[in-house]
Amino acid sequence: MATEPNLQSALYETGIGGLRSEEMILNMGPQHPSTHGVLRLVLTLDGETVVQCTPVIGYLHRGMEKIFENRPYMAGIRYIDNADYLSPMLNEMAYAGAVEQLMGLEPPRRAQYIRLIVNELERIASHLVAIGTYGMDLGATTPILWAFRDREQILDFFEAVSGHRFTHNYMRVGGVLYDLPKGWLQQVEQFLDNFERKSLPELDTLLTGNEIFEARTQGVGYIDPQQAIAYALTGPILRGSGVDFDVRKARPYGAYREIPVRTVVRQDGDCFARYRVRFEEMYESVRLIREAIDKLPGGSISARVPIALRPQRGETYFAVESARGEEALYLISDGSEYPYRAKLRGPSFVNLQILPELLRGRRVGDVIAILGSIDLVLGDVDR
Amino acid sequence: MNDVVQNIIHFVVTFLFALIFLMSAASILVYLERKIQAFVQDRYGPLHYGPQGILQAVIDPMKLLLKEDVKAASTDNVVFRIAPIIFFSPVITAFVVLPFSPYLTAGALGTGIIYYVALSSIDVIGVFMAGWGSNNKYALIGGLRSTAQMISYELPLVISIVGVVMLTSELAPACAGATPDLTVCGVGSISFTQIVAAQMNPARPWLWFVLLQPLGLVVYYICGLAETNRTPFDLPEAESELVAGYLTEYSGLRWAMFFLGEYGNMTIVSAVATALFLGGWSGPGAAVGFWTGALGGFWGQVVFNIICVFWFVFKMMVLLILFIWIRATLPRLRADQLMKFAWLYLIPLTLLNIFITGGLLLLPVNAGLRVFFSAAANWILLVLMITTFRSITGVSAVGKLPRWMSRSARRPQIIEEKDTTPRVPERGLSGAGVQR
Repeated sequence: MATEPNLQSALYETGIGGLRSEEMILNMGPQHPSTHGVLRLVLTLDGETVVQCTPVIGYLHRGMEKIFENRPYMAGIRYIDNADYLSPMLNEMAYAGAVEQLMGLEPPRRAQYIRLIVNELERIASHLVAIGTYGMDLGATTPILWAFRDREQILDFFEAVSGHRFTHNYMRVGGVLYDLPKGWLQQVEQFLDNFERKSLPELDTLLTGNEIFEARTQGVGYIDPQQAIAYALTGPILRGSGVDFDVRKARPYGAYREIPVRTVVRQDGDCFARYRVRFEEMYESVRLIREAIDKLPGGSISARVPIALRPQRGETYFAVESARGEEALYLISDGSEYPYRAKLRGPSFVNLQILPELLRGRRVGDVIAILGSIDLVLGDVDR
Repeated sequence: MNDVVQNIIHFVVTFLFALIFLMSAASILVYLERKIQAFVQDRYGPLHYGPQGILQAVIDPMKLLLKEDVKAASTDNVVFRIAPIIFFSPVITAFVVLPFSPYLTAGALGTGIIYYVALSSIDVIGVFMAGWGSNNKYALIGGLRSTAQMISYELPLVISIVGVVMLTSELAPACAGATPDLTVCGVGSISFTQIVAAQMNPARPWLWFVLLQPLGLVVYYICGLAETNRTPFDLPEAESELVAGYLTEYSGLRWAMFFLGEYGNMTIVSAVATALFLGGWSGPGAAVGFWTGALGGFWGQVVFNIICVFWFVFKMMVLLILFIWIRATLPRLRADQLMKFAWLYLIPLTLLNIFITGGLLLLPVNAGLRVFFSAAANWILLVLMITTFRSITGVSAVGKLPRWMSRSARRPQIIEEKDTTPRVPERGLSGAGVQR
């Protein structure tokens, strides 16, 4: 399949039948309805077949890593919210965890459980966006609205707990900022019941099993496990290719050390497998939240930390499993109040690498199907 | 009143009715579409203008009329300007032939179906001109896709109608008497009025052609979706891939002409389906004898025609709402899958249908049995089509069971319990940790 377009273009160049065809360069993005932000794809097309794809990034670069280096440690949390703007809580977890590791701090158990609950809620919210927009990319208008309806409730929970719907600024080095409001957990449980019994199966029947949806996604964008590892893919893409790797399980952090995660793995490696992995991970997140609520310990929500954080000299790498893969922060401290160097490993950035490889030889219609299944967040790519 | 005056009045009334109906139907449909989609998608839809936002139907076209006429400098001026007109004018023209009621139809046009088919294929030129004239790559790809799609789906659309024409050769009222009218009987009619009349035979008033040619209706409707560029065949304007396809460079009134033309096309497709398959204006109360008897000649005809229009529009609306429902539910196909579906599936199927229906109608048994056999064959073909649908369209779906047979297999799977011991992958890129 992959050799077919090259053969075709070779035939055309020799001018068989007096036909001469040219390759067309199509700029997809940065303003385009379905590049999920400001990604620009320079596609070289031969008819409807993609010969070459060059992603151009950097339209959303905000110099986040440099900002971290010019802020005290605690102030970075507000900025990392905007890195992967669909899962701020998970970013905060990566940042707070990295600084804690650097300082040798251990947050109280209650704080860690609260972090797990909000993290998993954020994962559900992020996967809902991924699945909804994926349906939108393939031309179905309804899934996105159903997904956003449920996501809205999660954002309401975040507003109740942190004061912000989106850029929460909720976690702190050593714990979390506020304890859970009264009645919050009951509402979350109610939501989860409804979500698991009604909303998710509804969304499921709309997409899974739909002939057109399956025809568009099955067998499209295949990544084999070796390839996935070679490209350092993580998250649902890696698990969709049959590699059982999840940071929550491989290097458990926080409350995941006490609540083990059952990873969802699919062997097919195509767009449909990635979609299914995301879908089933939402069920898994619901289970994790329930278990965390049952086991939620009492006590303090934050460790005692000095006002000015001065970690000792050293470096650290701390990774969490974000909704898109391994979100990690590499910090070097020179003993001052500011990080000497901060490097954010954005999973979207790493996952984007495989896109040209996947698109070569596919049709224009598949570009969107494959791009959507990788689930990029441009804030995370450009940082 | 002499005949000339009557004919002129007839023409004026019919023309005005069709035009006003078209203009209002398009904008009402836009409102309906937004409301129904909103209902499906769990939101409100338009609410601001009028109760339940009903004046949105007026506001929408008004906004489009008042917008600035934007035209990029590098467009092909003439082609770019003519394209919307070429797209829109066949829509208005095709309305003339639609049989709303016995009076409100251009009854003289005996070649109704040919006329409709011919006009509906002119749209393609407008779309292609729009794609070419815009001087935009998205528009060009959209226009080319659209041309390929509309031409491909034109064929099964026309062939699916042939079954109905064949049936009229048996069921037309002209065949009923002792001395059959041989211009219709045994040949079939392509006049809409004749076809509707064949379905309104007083002896069997409910024998609509959908019961005899269900496959015809299904194929016709699918092709109608493709002809009007509606989901799941809305590739030419697939916004997630091609921004807006051939519409990318258009705005304001020119865009409105494409937009309203598309809705007008939908209306026509539904109206033709109603006339050909759903019995046209037949329905409870649509009996001319009863009304002329009760109210006298003139007023009886008036009431009868109003009832006819009601039934016709009612059936049409059902089909139109189905259009909207489909749009709210389904994703879209890929371009090659779409072409494959037309050429490898719909065209052979409809040709087979013609062959079987034609063959069975030639059987040397009585007329009723012949029609019954052809109908039975058609139903069998329909079931075949639905059950083999997946294996044709799907990429990896060859040999898959139909959905109703494999329902249990596609229930959301319970997440398996896997071993939860932490396992760090091996160092390096050897892929050693990838055995799972």
